[in-house]
Amino acid sequence: MPAEPNERVGEAGGASLCPQCLSLIPSWRERAGTEVYQVKECPRHGRFRALIWRGPPDFDSWRRPKLPARLDHYECSVERGCPFDCGLCPEHRQRTCTAIIEVAQGCDLHCPVCYADAPAQGGPEPDLALVETWYRAVLRSAAGCNIQLSGGEPTIRDDLPKIVAMGRGLGFSFIQINTNGLRLARDRSYVAALVKAGLSSVFLQFDAASDRAYQRLRGRALLAEKLRALDACQEHGLGVVLVPTIVSGVNLDQVGPILELARERSPTVRGVHFQPMSRFGRYPVNLTENGRLTLPELIMAIEEQSKGLFPAASFRPPGCENALCSFQGNFLLHPGGRVHPLSQDHNPDCCPRPEPAEQGALRAIARAARHWAAPPPGGPPARAAGGRAANSPAQPIMLDEFITLARQRTLSVSAMAFQDVWNLDLDRVRDCCIHVVSPDGRLVPFCLYNLTSAGGQKLYRP
Amino acid sequence: MKQENIRPGDLAWKCCKCGLKLEPALVTVEYLGNEFTAELPRCPGCGQVMISEEVALGKMAEVEQILEDK
Repeated sequence: MPAEPNERVGEAGGASLCPQCLSLIPSWRERAGTEVYQVKECPRHGRFRALIWRGPPDFDSWRRPKLPARLDHYECSVERGCPFDCGLCPEHRQRTCTAIIEVAQGCDLHCPVCYADAPAQGGPEPDLALVETWYRAVLRSAAGCNIQLSGGEPTIRDDLPKIVAMGRGLGFSFIQINTNGLRLARDRSYVAALVKAGLSSVFLQFDAASDRAYQRLRGRALLAEKLRALDACQEHGLGVVLVPTIVSGVNLDQVGPILELARERSPTVRGVHFQPMSRFGRYPVNLTENGRLTLPELIMAIEEQSKGLFPAASFRPPGCENALCSFQGNFLLHPGGRVHPLSQDHNPDCCPRPEPAEQGALRAIARAARHWAAPPPGGPPARAAGGRAANSPAQPIMLDEFITLARQRTLSVSAMAFQDVWNLDLDRVRDCCIHVVSPDGRLVPFCLYNLTSAGGQKLYRP
Repeated sequence: MKQENIRPGDLAWKCCKCGLKLEPALVTVEYLGNEFTAELPRCPGCGQVMISEEVALGKMAEVEQILEDK
């Protein structure tokens, strides 16, 4: 049983929403040992407590303060105040790094877990003219950002290559699809058409390296299809990011096997982006605060299950979004199996200097393009970086060899902890850089767009 | 030994301190906790290394970007 929190941490004046009625209410943080909770109180529905940090790395060390970004153009003005005026409004503190455009409502998988709560049969899909208005809305507010085409399941559309080509034609240089991979697995000509249209990267839902977790989270065995999707991407030279939704007690034990598979499938697999389960959209009804997986627990699971190949100290808080929202590390995969962390140990001094948020966003945009797309041609043969060798002491490497390896065999390992109505922190939300394009062309922070109350009431999603 | 970071003209330089002609040598450079070896022009007397503008703004800059990529 966790100890009763009794020490307040951080600044006063926090705010969140009541999980029952979505009213704006005060929130604060309390610490109990190495656990940190967000506590909030609604005058009508009482007190709520959500775990936001557990264990090492130390909560107080995990900081990366930023100077707020100011946009040239805000689509909305401040009327009711955050989080009711998205977006974006002048209270927001970060520009868009990735704009998510939902091009399909329906999905061919209908998982028990779905942030977007996508139906098996969606309504009519947005036509190309409407999709173009969304692209243009992004250009107005966030030119130069990356694009993720999502849904629903975007690959249920036969004209998805046209949507990709349209985005490229409008000047977006990095376009990714967020997919379950089923169509990529069975339709190689579709993959070829996407590549020809200018697709940069595939964000592939990938919860495990065995079938048990797929049964629980997705409703059926899917591993064989996921691997066929990877084969198709390899054949057509598409970079892939594996995206596991991680649930304690369901697939936390798959962190190590997924990283092992990622190493074996490099350079087709360019990154692994873990997403601890959040409680919005469709999620298991028995998922409670006790089962919430925090970022530090995930960092430690990565180190432990990879037997130290991906050490905890090599992960850093982000330079783009709020420090409490994610971690990231880049790793060089040497032939023979050694894994070389490229990020520096995160060991901030007492008062890290605030960095301009906009510069962090611009770096993140460029980093995604470099690390999540396929590498340039050439380099060591595929799968040369796999194997089970333990990390040996680093030997100096030739400069040219290092550059070639870094271009070809860098694996990005990251995670993002989404906020649901239980742990929503408006201070974090205002730093958000992942924005969903609403049907009327506004940019809404991802967590707010998907947020649902305990009773299923939506804040923004239609 | 490869001399990818040395142009023929680089070896025409003399060390201003020792007056000796620079020679190709395998040197170790350290940046942000990472060590690399590279063939660079070096003074055989004092060990001073010359890094050309091309290498500094090319490969060295790329290494910096890789290591500071975050």
